Amino acid sequence: MNKKTLKVTAILLVLGMIMLTGCGTKAASVEKPAATTLNGQNVDPNATITVGLSASVLTLDPANHRDRNTETVIRNMFDGLVTRTVDGKIVPEIAESWKLNSPTVWEFKIRKGITFHDGSPLTADDVQFTFERILKEGALGNNLSSPRKGLLGPVTSVVKVDDFTVQFNLSSPWPIMEQMLPHQQIVPKAYVEKVGSEEFAKKPIGAGPFKFVEGKLDERIVMERYDKYYGGSPDLKPVGLAQAKTVIFEVIPETSTRLASLMSGQIQISQKVPADMIDKVKADNNLLIKSAEGTTVTMFQMNLKQKPFDNVKVRQAMNYAVNIQQIVDTALGGNAVRLAGPVLATSFAVNKDLKPYPYDTAKAKQLLSEAGYPNGFALVIDTEADLKTIAEAAAADLQKVGINATVRIWDWGVLKPLLLKGERSMALTTFGNSTQDPSDFLEPTLKAGGGGNYSHYANPEAATLIDQAKISLVESERKDLYVKAQAIIYNEAPWVFGYAMKQTEASSKKIVNWESSMDSRINLHDVGILAK
Amino acid sequence: METHLRSLRLFGQNLQAFFSQLKKHPSAWLGGIVILLYVAMAIIAPLLAPHSPIGTDLQLRLIPPFWQDGGTWSHFFGTDVLGMDLLSRIIYGARISLLIGFLAVGISVLIGVVLGMLAGYFRGFFDEIISRFAELLMAFPFLIFAIGIMAVLGPGFGNLLLALTFKGWVEFFRLVRGEMMVEKTKEYVEAATALGVSHLRIIISEILPNVVHSILVLGTLRLGYMIIMEASLSFLGLGIQPPTPAWGSMISAGRDYMMTAWWISTIPGIALLILVLSINLFGEGLRDVSDPRLKRG
Amino acid sequence: MRAVKIVERVLATIPIMIGVAILVFLFMRFTPGDPVDLMMGKDGNVSAQEVATLRAQFNLDEPIYVQLFDYLHKASQGDLGLSFKKNRPVIELVKEALPATVELSLVAVVISLFIAIPIGVYSAVKQNSLIDRASMGISFLGVSMPAFWLGIVLILIFSVKLGISPAQGRIDYGVGLDKVTGFYLLDSILTGNFQAFKSTLSHLLLPAITLGATLAAIVTRVVRSSMLEVLRQDYIVMARAKGMSEFKVVVKHALRNALIPTVTVVGLEIGVLLGGNMIVETVFGWPGLGRIAVEAIFNRDYPLVQGVVMFYAIVFVMANLIVDILYTYINPKISI
Repeated sequence: MNKKTLKVTAILLVLGMIMLTGCGTKAASVEKPAATTLNGQNVDPNATITVGLSASVLTLDPANHRDRNTETVIRNMFDGLVTRTVDGKIVPEIAESWKLNSPTVWEFKIRKGITFHDGSPLTADDVQFTFERILKEGALGNNLSSPRKGLLGPVTSVVKVDDFTVQFNLSSPWPIMEQMLPHQQIVPKAYVEKVGSEEFAKKPIGAGPFKFVEGKLDERIVMERYDKYYGGSPDLKPVGLAQAKTVIFEVIPETSTRLASLMSGQIQISQKVPADMIDKVKADNNLLIKSAEGTTVTMFQMNLKQKPFDNVKVRQAMNYAVNIQQIVDTALGGNAVRLAGPVLATSFAVNKDLKPYPYDTAKAKQLLSEAGYPNGFALVIDTEADLKTIAEAAAADLQKVGINATVRIWDWGVLKPLLLKGERSMALTTFGNSTQDPSDFLEPTLKAGGGGNYSHYANPEAATLIDQAKISLVESERKDLYVKAQAIIYNEAPWVFGYAMKQTEASSKKIVNWESSMDSRINLHDVGILAK
Repeated sequence: METHLRSLRLFGQNLQAFFSQLKKHPSAWLGGIVILLYVAMAIIAPLLAPHSPIGTDLQLRLIPPFWQDGGTWSHFFGTDVLGMDLLSRIIYGARISLLIGFLAVGISVLIGVVLGMLAGYFRGFFDEIISRFAELLMAFPFLIFAIGIMAVLGPGFGNLLLALTFKGWVEFFRLVRGEMMVEKTKEYVEAATALGVSHLRIIISEILPNVVHSILVLGTLRLGYMIIMEASLSFLGLGIQPPTPAWGSMISAGRDYMMTAWWISTIPGIALLILVLSINLFGEGLRDVSDPRLKRG
Repeated sequence: MRAVKIVERVLATIPIMIGVAILVFLFMRFTPGDPVDLMMGKDGNVSAQEVATLRAQFNLDEPIYVQLFDYLHKASQGDLGLSFKKNRPVIELVKEALPATVELSLVAVVISLFIAIPIGVYSAVKQNSLIDRASMGISFLGVSMPAFWLGIVLILIFSVKLGISPAQGRIDYGVGLDKVTGFYLLDSILTGNFQAFKSTLSHLLLPAITLGATLAAIVTRVVRSSMLEVLRQDYIVMARAKGMSEFKVVVKHALRNALIPTVTVVGLEIGVLLGGNMIVETVFGWPGLGRIAVEAIFNRDYPLVQGVVMFYAIVFVMANLIVDILYTYINPKISI
């Protein structure tokens, strides 16, 4: 913080205090509690934090959606067995400890003294019930099944051992089990059984730091501090009750409106700040940019089933021809991390020997000639509206090596089936990898039959390596396998390897102890607002 | 042959009288001149534009207009996120915007007038079917349809036209059908029928010249609306495919930069505003001098 | 007599509604894109078996005609099904969003009429004066720009630069409004909550102006031109000759007759207003039907799109009906 901003902050603080005392007659008649301390700063225990969301919330039932944004909101009312730190490490939450009894049996010890918002204690029965609701078909009532079952991979059943121990049975070893568990939140068995799933979604009760007050999913969701909270993960400081009294999630899909609300003080935290707005936010004395390494990979997938991308030289040429580094530096304002191969740079299994294809038009032209395309070819880059700028920049680069590239914008719902059928040639798209483990990334995107394998890449050798790594429980062994697979993929270049967009959010300077999280969730338990 | 000449003359006389009256309307004249300037700009765009409208250069991105700090004369109105020259894009964009406007109105007129004449003249079952269908379309939210069309066929020029004309013809249909029913009862039509002139000839050479200015007025007023709709559809992600310069998609794409690079969205917005304003002034002038019945809108 | 005609008109809307229902149903089914696929998002493993379970649960594995018949059958009993993505009854979602949309639209109409009618009348009385020309010119601005652009410009000026108006939402949290009808303005009056009224109004102003700008422009011109026409009529000349005050002539005699075309135009523009809602609601984060509709289409949430379209159609048809009925009151000579 430089001197000038310090001065301005000081003036603002004084002004705020004057205003508070000036119009404080109403406030004074209510109780006036002492401020509490957080990170060495005084925070207001009666504060309200308002977050601007970029999309509607789908439901408040943790088992009934497949949407990161919805999970962000739910996560503040519900806790999971484990949770993640902002940089993606797994730490205990409701579970105290866990161990592997055999490669396919996990045992979790549950913390004692945890209560749901209705005061009832959380036990192994609730944990078992939570997972049964997700695993069993039709368990959500009205013949509805949970769309989250796939997130539990090979888990076949969860059974209670004693009141505070549960056992997970798997059909095969699953190394990313811990990384996948934060996506499931524990619900109260007795309450859900009593009121039914439909009513539960309207009046949700969890064991999280905030309890539900009111809300319309397309508009605003209000929560209040739960005063008997057990304190949350011992690894996430401070442990204890939530810092703020009230938190509000406002749904503001339009980016410029959301940032306008942040600047005018209507909200204090805004999701998704586009790269070009970052400088503007930084220039505002009341605001801060918060960013974290992202877990969503953006890449150009080339269709190997079609000419000219059936030729590996053409695919390599594309990697030399598109100036990804310049796109990252300028069009994305440096708010992305370039990837050499398919795997996230933050993943434990990333192959550090691979260097990004350099920008080299001569090499690209040479490879194109060798492949029999000395005069290039016509190419349409298919993408979605969000990635339009990037696609256009890449098309301009490709034109420089003689490829007549144009961009076509699609509605994703229309484009995806065409890509899976192999009817298009090149797609600029994204794929999420919130676990940062290649297991649930390489399999869907680069193995035959994968739901995100639009390049129709099917290398048996790479597939074997991916399959082996999927069930191995020895981290170093898994790493070796993935490193080998990445080397193969790198050389075969089914993609123009892209970048991982950083997770960029903005907050008011009054917000204390909040950092952007790699998996894009906004957990407000430990976050406070500066006392006036 | 003779009747054709006569009907042509009638057309001509009607239009001539129409435009001579228009002379008394200064704002309409002003509007007309501006429209002509825009049309001229669109036609000679390659001569006017200082740069390629689709030439991207990331090194030159987000240059402000010349009068702001950091602006240069070579990029008069600055550049956009991809470093494309805004002035050149605006000049070329006039082509797309005008073309979309004129084609969308033209096609709507064609469909609406033909169906309206047939329905209004012959009435009966055909009229019933078309009128019901028109009512149905009026009740169906336009944007939902437009989004659907764009989703099925993908955004693009032809599909944009399809979306705009899908409902656009209904107004012309209603107008012409109504006029038709009125005109049909007039003496000159009855006389022609008695003389054994064919229905088609009556419609084309007797009635049409008498309803042409109503169509012209409504068409002009709809022209502005269609140009605005292109922008609104772009807002929902359904505009022209990049990098083709179109004002609507430029305004819409620039909206996220309103606070940092205001010119990307604002300057094409002003270009569009001036054009549509002129079209409306011209249309209002037309309306004023035409049939007073139309004044009711 | 009038009552019978009204009933007849109401009955005549039924085939239109059925037509709309079938049209939107088929329309959605022929739009490419799989709702279940879109529901699962773009990350992680999704098993084919998981997708199949969800498809079956939404009835998507049945032939289209079976689905259509099922849909119409249930709709006729007032059951519009469950939203795929939100897993809640469509009726409930629409009920929740409808008051927001209707409130916004009504306030937009009221604001535009309050601005447009006096200006239109004044311009007609002072025809060709400077004020007439200026206000006519300005009124054209309203129909000459895209609504989303106007909305963003208003937000930048009034929320960001001046900080006098909230950029989004319907009401501040914490004003303690008891929801009676779901129309916040009405609720705050009913419960006598002045703070809530103020908050609601300040939230409503920018979106309502954005939405109403086009209507205001159109109404100003219609009022002006029909006033001009009416003022030339014999009975006005007579009234003036009798020495009636100019104000009385204009307001009592001329305006009443000039309002007939205005009512027509407002009625016809309701459809346009509803369409405009989708854009304005998206810009201002207004939690109404329009925003839901846009999201639902992109998600291929068939039941929700169908439900919202049905409600749009009903509102549109009803608005036209009310216009027709109003006619008979303003001018008893016209029958429905």
